[in-house]
Amino acid sequence: MTAPALVAILLFVEIPFLMSVLYSFTKWNGLDKAVKFIGIANYAELMTTDPGFGSAMIFTLLFTVLAVAATNVIALLLAVILDANIRGKNVLRAAFYIPNIISLIIIGYVWRFIFSRGFDSFGALTHLGVFQLSWLGDFHLVFFSVVLVTVWQSIGFYMVIYIAGLQTVPREQIEAAVIDGTGPVNRFFRITLPLILPSVTVAVFYSLSNALKTFDVIFSLTFGGPGTATTSIALDIYKTAFSDSRFGYGSAKSVVLFLLILAVTVFQLTAFKRREVQA
Amino acid sequence: MNRRTLRGGRRPRGALAITLVMTALALIYLYPLILVVINSLKTFSEIMSNVVALPSRLNGENFSNAFTLMRYPNLFLNTLLVTCMGTAGVVLLASIAGFKLSRTRTRYSWLVFLVCVAPMMIPFHSFMISLVKIARNLHLTNSIWGLGVIYWGLGVPLSLFMYHGFVKTVPTDLDDCASIDGCSPLRAFFQVILPLLQPVTVSVIVINAMWMWNDFLLPLLVLSGAKKSMTLQLAAYNFFGQYKIEWQNAMAGVLLTITPAIIFYLVLQRHIIKGMVAGAVKG
Repeated sequence: MTAPALVAILLFVEIPFLMSVLYSFTKWNGLDKAVKFIGIANYAELMTTDPGFGSAMIFTLLFTVLAVAATNVIALLLAVILDANIRGKNVLRAAFYIPNIISLIIIGYVWRFIFSRGFDSFGALTHLGVFQLSWLGDFHLVFFSVVLVTVWQSIGFYMVIYIAGLQTVPREQIEAAVIDGTGPVNRFFRITLPLILPSVTVAVFYSLSNALKTFDVIFSLTFGGPGTATTSIALDIYKTAFSDSRFGYGSAKSVVLFLLILAVTVFQLTAFKRREVQA
Repeated sequence: MNRRTLRGGRRPRGALAITLVMTALALIYLYPLILVVINSLKTFSEIMSNVVALPSRLNGENFSNAFTLMRYPNLFLNTLLVTCMGTAGVVLLASIAGFKLSRTRTRYSWLVFLVCVAPMMIPFHSFMISLVKIARNLHLTNSIWGLGVIYWGLGVPLSLFMYHGFVKTVPTDLDDCASIDGCSPLRAFFQVILPLLQPVTVSVIVINAMWMWNDFLLPLLVLSGAKKSMTLQLAAYNFFGQYKIEWQNAMAGVLLTITPAIIFYLVLQRHIIKGMVAGAVKG
C-alpha cells in the first residue's frame, strides 16, 4: 500500500536529487549524451572564479536576514493586535491574509506596476521624494524593494501562525500578571513571548527557508536586475542551467543551496528548541 | 470547548480606536490590489496619465481582451485539471501510505517513513534540473497530465507526514473490527478509516490545491513550448514578459488569474487558515 507513494517520491524528488549530486561533479550541457566527469572543478569554480554566484550568495543572505526579521516582527505585532477582542478582527485578519493567496509571480507583476506607473502618479500628486526614486532601477534601492514586496506578501501567513500560538496562552496567567500590576510591554516580553516560543520557532523556520530559496517574486519583479543586484541563489541556478545550458555547474550550485538551507535551518531549530525547553 | 468564549474576555481600552486605525492600515496595505481593480477598468492612456484616478467610464473591454488573449477558458480548465488531479493523487497516495506506515511498527517501515518524508528538507531548486531531465525521459513534459503526475511526488511527503501523525489518534480496534467483519484491508481503509481522517484531508486538500494553483516554476520548466497546455500563471508571465506592456489588459488578466483563488479562499476561509497552520506546525 505504500509502494505508489514511495515510487512517486523516489522518481520525482529523491532520484533527481541524487542525480543532481552526481551531475555536480560533471560538465554537461543538458543535451549531449556525453557527460564528462570533472571532479570538484564545479565547486572550485563557484567558490573562486564566479563573481555571479558570490554576489547571489551575498544578496540571498542579506535578503534573508532583513526579510526574516521584518516579517516576523511585523507579523507578531499584527497578531497581538488582532488577537485582542476588538470589533471587526476577523475581517481585518482576512484582509491581511489576502496577498498570501495570490501567486508570487502575480505579486511581482502587480508591484512592478505599482513601482513604475503607480509611483509616478503618487509622486505627481504628493511631490514626495520617496515616490520619485527609482525603486526598481537603482542598484541599492532595489534590494529594499524586493524585501518590501516579499514581506508584504507573506506577513498574513505568519500572522496566522502567531495568532494560533497566542490562542494557546492561558488567560489566567495574563490576568494574574495584570493583577500584579505588570504593564502591557512587560507582560508581552515576560509572559506571552516565552509561552509562544514554539510558534516563533515554526514561523522563523518557514520564513528562513522561504527566504533562502526566494525565486518567484524576483523572477517577475526584477528578473535579478538591474545587473545582478537582486539575483538570488535560486535564480542564479535557474539562469546557469536553463539560460547558459550549464547543467553540471548549475547542479553544483543547487547542492550548495541544499547544504546552506539545511545548515541554517538545523542550526535555527536546535538553537530555538533549546530556549523553548527553558521557557 | 468554544474558543471564543474561553478567550475574548474584556474589550481592551480604546478598542474602537484600534479598529479604526487597523482598518485604515488594512486599506493602505491592500491599496496595490485596489489599484489593480481600478486600473483594470481604464483605458491605456488613462493609466499612463494617472493611476490613482477612477476610470472616466466603466467598460469591460480590457476583460474581454484579456479573456481572448489568454484563451482564458482553455487555460482555466488546464489549471483546474492540474490542481484537481494533483491534489486528488496526493490525498490518495499520502493517506494510504501514511496509514499503513503508522500502523506497521517495524524497523523497515520506519526506514520507509524516513525516506518518504526526507524530501521536506530538499528545496525544489536543488533537484529541478534533473527533474526536468527525468520528466522528459518519461514523456511527462508538455502535458497537463504529466505535470499533475509530477505533483504527486512533490506533494506527498508533507501530506503523508500529516496523515501519519493523525492516524495515531484513530483506535486500532477499528481496523480489527473491519477485518473480523471480512473487510479487505483496502476496503476497510476507504470505508472505515479514511472518513475518520477528514480533518487532515481538508488541510491536505487546501495546502496542495493552493500551492498547485499558484505554482509557477514547475509549470514553466515542464510545459515550456507547448501553447495549448499552459496554466494561468504562465499566461500572466507571457502578458508581462513583453517589451511594451499593455497595462490595461495586463491588469484585467491579473484579476482573471487571481479571482478563482480569491473565491476559493472566501468560501473556505476557515478551512484554509486552519489547514495552512496545521501544515506549518506539523511540517
